[in-house]
Amino acid sequence: MDAIDFDLSEFLRVCYAMLELEYFRVSHDRTELYIRAVQPALWLVLFGFIIGSLRAIPTGGIPYTAFIAPGVLIQSATTVAIFYGLMIVWERESGILKRLLSTPAPRYVIVIGRALAAGMRALIQSLVIFLIAAIVGVKFVINPINFLISLVIVLIFSAGFAAFSMSLATVFKTREKFVGIGQLIIFPLFFSSNALYPLTTMPAFLQMFAYINPMTYAIDALRGLLITNNLTGLSTDIFAVILFTSIMFYIAAVRFKKIVE
Amino acid sequence: MTEYAIDVANLEKIYSGRSKKALDGVNLKVERNKIFAILGPNGAGKTTLMRILTTQITPSKGTARVLDFNVFSDGHKLRKEIGYVPQEMSVWTDISAYENLLIYSQIYGIAKAEREALIKESLIRMELTEYKDNLVNTFSGGMIRRLEIACALIVKPQIIFLDEPTIGLDPEARKKVWEKIVSFTKESGATVFFSTHYMDEADEYANEIAIINAGKIVSQGDSNHLKQSVGNQEIILGLSVPLDDKSKQQLRKLEQVIDLKTNGVEVEVWVKDASVALSSIMNSLFSSKVKIESVKINKPTLEDAFEKYAGVSYDSTEGIKEVNAVRRRIIG
Ligand SMILES: Nc1ncnc2c1ncn2[C@@H]1O[C@H](COP(=O)(O)OP(=O)(O)O)[C@@H](O)[C@H]1O
Ligand SMILES: [Mg+2]
Repeated sequence: MDAIDFDLSEFLRVCYAMLELEYFRVSHDRTELYIRAVQPALWLVLFGFIIGSLRAIPTGGIPYTAFIAPGVLIQSATTVAIFYGLMIVWERESGILKRLLSTPAPRYVIVIGRALAAGMRALIQSLVIFLIAAIVGVKFVINPINFLISLVIVLIFSAGFAAFSMSLATVFKTREKFVGIGQLIIFPLFFSSNALYPLTTMPAFLQMFAYINPMTYAIDALRGLLITNNLTGLSTDIFAVILFTSIMFYIAAVRFKKIVE
Repeated sequence: MTEYAIDVANLEKIYSGRSKKALDGVNLKVERNKIFAILGPNGAGKTTLMRILTTQITPSKGTARVLDFNVFSDGHKLRKEIGYVPQEMSVWTDISAYENLLIYSQIYGIAKAEREALIKESLIRMELTEYKDNLVNTFSGGMIRRLEIACALIVKPQIIFLDEPTIGLDPEARKKVWEKIVSFTKESGATVFFSTHYMDEADEYANEIAIINAGKIVSQGDSNHLKQSVGNQEIILGLSVPLDDKSKQQLRKLEQVIDLKTNGVEVEVWVKDASVALSSIMNSLFSSKVKIESVKINKPTLEDAFEKYAGVSYDSTEGIKEVNAVRRRIIG
C-alpha cells in the first residue's frame, strides 16, 4: 500500500511495545505457564525414566532424561508458539487487528513484533521446563555463554514458529479449526525430530524428514550447548534456525494482508 | 488545507471473492470541526467505508482523501493523525487500563517524557483514573468503550472515526460516552465521523448526517433538513366550536398553509415548517374570534427520513443484537 521505507527506530519501538504487551500479559496470569509445564514434566519424569531404564536407545553415554530434555524444552516452546496464532484469530474477531492497522505501525512490524512477543512467551515457558529438568536431576553444562546462546536460539526459533502460526491463522480463521491443526502439526514434528532418539537410529525415510524438520536443528543446538558440550554442529544448527525463522517472517508478513480483509 | 476533513469520490469496494459491491460509488464531503453521523441499515457499507478511510483496506475504485492525505498513497502519514475505534473492541482485556494506554502510546511513538502526562490526562478525561490498574475484563461495557476512546484520543487526533461507539450500552452509559466525545471535540477542534444504530444520537449530537444504503449515499444534510425533506409538518388544532367556512377560507389563503382538513372541532393544517407558520395561523383564528383549546404539532422524525431514503423501516434491534453477540463473545 505505501512505499516501504524501513525506519529502524519505528521498527524497534513497535517491537518493544509488543514485547511489553506480552510481558504484561504473562505477569497478570501465570496459570497458563504452569498448566503448560505439566505435560513436558511428565515427558521428562515418566517417559525419560521408563525408556531410560530400558537402556534401549544409544545416547552416547548420557542419561536418557538428559538426552530428551532439549527436545522436551523445544517442544514446549513450539507449542506456545503454535498456539499463539489463536491469539491472532481472537484479535481478528475482536477489533484489535483492525485497530492496530489504523496506527502508524507498519504491517510487517506488527507481524514481526507479535512473533517476537510470542517467542518471548515461549522463552519464559522453556525456562520453567529448564528448571523442572534441573530439579529431576538433569545435569546441564555449567557455562553462562552456552546458556545465553541457548536462550537466543529458543527465542528465534519460537518466533519463527509463531510467525508460521500467524500464517496458518490466515487460512484457518476460526478457533476450532485452528486448535485442530495446531495439534496436528506439533506431534509429527516432534516425533520426526531427534528429540527422543538419535538420527542414526531412525529408519531412512524418517531421517529424511528429520533433516528438513527445523526442530531437529534447534534441538541439536541445545543438546550440544546444554548437555554434551559438543559444539561441532552448532554453526549449521544456528544457520538452519535463522533461515527457518527468516522465511517464516517473510511469509507471515506477506500473508498478513489476507487476515484483515 | 482544504475545508474538508473527508473528501470521497466515486468510491467502490468489492471484497475479494465477493461479487456484490460493498460500496457502490460513494460520494461524500465532510467539513472540518464537525460531528458527522452516517446512518444505514445493516450491511449498507458503513464499516467498509470507515475501514477504507482509516487505511486498513484499499478501495477497488474511486478516490478518498482524509485531512488532505490520499488514503491510498499517504497512509503512513495519515495514520499518525487519526483516531479510530472499531465496532467490535480494540483493547486487550487481560491487561490493565493503564497498560493499554501505555502500549498504544508507544505504538504511536509518543516521547517518554510526555507519555505519563498524556496517559494521566486521558484517564481523567474518561473518568477511569480510579480503575487504571484493574484488568479490563473486570470493566463494564461503558468503561471499556471509554477506555477505547481514551486509547484513540491519546495522540490528539485531528479526526476520529467511531464505528458504532455506543452500541449495546445502556442510555446512561451512552450519554456519558457522548459527553466525553463532545467535550474533546470542543477543546481540540477535531472532526468526528461516526456510525450508529441509534437515531436519537445522530439527531442530538451530529451537525450533519448522511444516510447510506446498499453502498450508496442516498441523502445528506443536517437533521432538520433531512426531516423536512421527508414531507410536510402537521399542526392539529383543537377548537371550542367547529370552524365556519369563512374562517377556513381565511386560513387557506395564508402563505404557509399547504393543505387543510376539518373534522368536527379539530383542524389539521399542513405546513412546511410549523415553527414559522404557527403564529400566523393563530393570528388568523384569533381575528375570526375562534377559541383554540389545544395545539399539537407532528413533524417527520429522523426515523421517517431513514425509512424514506433507506427504503426499509428503521429497526435497530437486529443490528444491535448482532454486534452485541460479537462483543459478548469477545469480552466473555
Ligand atoms: N471482510 C469482509 N469480507 C467480505 N465481505 C464483507 C466484509 N466485510 C463486510 N462485507 C460485506 O460488505 C457489505 C457491507 O458491510 P459493512 O461495511 O460491514 O456494513 P455495515 O457496517 O453498514 O453494517 C455487506 O454485504 C457485508 O457482508
Ligand atoms: Mg458495521
